Amino acid sequence: MDFLKSIQVAVSGLKAQSGRMRVISENIANADSVPQNPNAEPYRRKVPTFERRFDRELQAETVRMGKIARDQGSFKTRFEPGHPAADRQGYVKLPNVSSTIESMDLREAQRSYEANLNVVSSTRRMIQRTLELLRA
Amino acid sequence: MASPISAANAYSAIQRMGTGAALPVSRTDAGEGGATGGFANVLQQFAGGTAETARKAEGQMMQAAAGKGDLVDVVTAITESEAALETLVAVRDRMIAAYEEIMRMPI
Repeated sequence: MDFLKSIQVAVSGLKAQSGRMRVISENIANADSVPQNPNAEPYRRKVPTFERRFDRELQAETVRMGKIARDQGSFKTRFEPGHPAADRQGYVKLPNVSSTIESMDLREAQRSYEANLNVVSSTRRMIQRTLELLRA
Repeated sequence: MASPISAANAYSAIQRMGTGAALPVSRTDAGEGGATGGFANVLQQFAGGTAETARKAEGQMMQAAAGKGDLVDVVTAITESEAALETLVAVRDRMIAAYEEIMRMPI
């Protein structure tokens, strides 16, 4: 039934968006993860990707989380000579996570999740309205 | 109000729906096996399909209770089983109405 298929497709969207939320929460949680010594790298921001997937059983195009890429942008630095990870000039490398970007991504994930939820609830309503034809 | 003709139409439509459902229930007495056999068979098929989705939903709930299932999967399984049950109830009500309508037909 097409209704159940569209629910399944929306569910794949829900799962993809919740995976994206997980990645964003990792980024936010690790925003201050600094290395233990000057040679190591701090936390590098993760970027979630999505890919389409044709579900043969469903005969419909669903979405799923693709590879989680790493942001290749440069790290921030902070002057803190006493830190164990400070280099010879006294700078500590900080993760390339920007809290503004992360909170915007978070909001986007939230909105996409809600859009998929709306698809599920509208489909359910359509099924119920159709069944009401039989009850009239 | 359903007229006898619309009742008969509904009955044949329901019978066709029953044939369309791919369920491993034997349908030997569906054709000329009499009206009661047809009704019983269609109801049995629908109930079988609904029970199957309900079992799936139950399995998902058990997994979720054990901390293994995905919340979204549980909700979808329950939604599907709910839709199947609602269809079953609506079809059953309609079929019983059709049956009563036929029984009330003056011969």
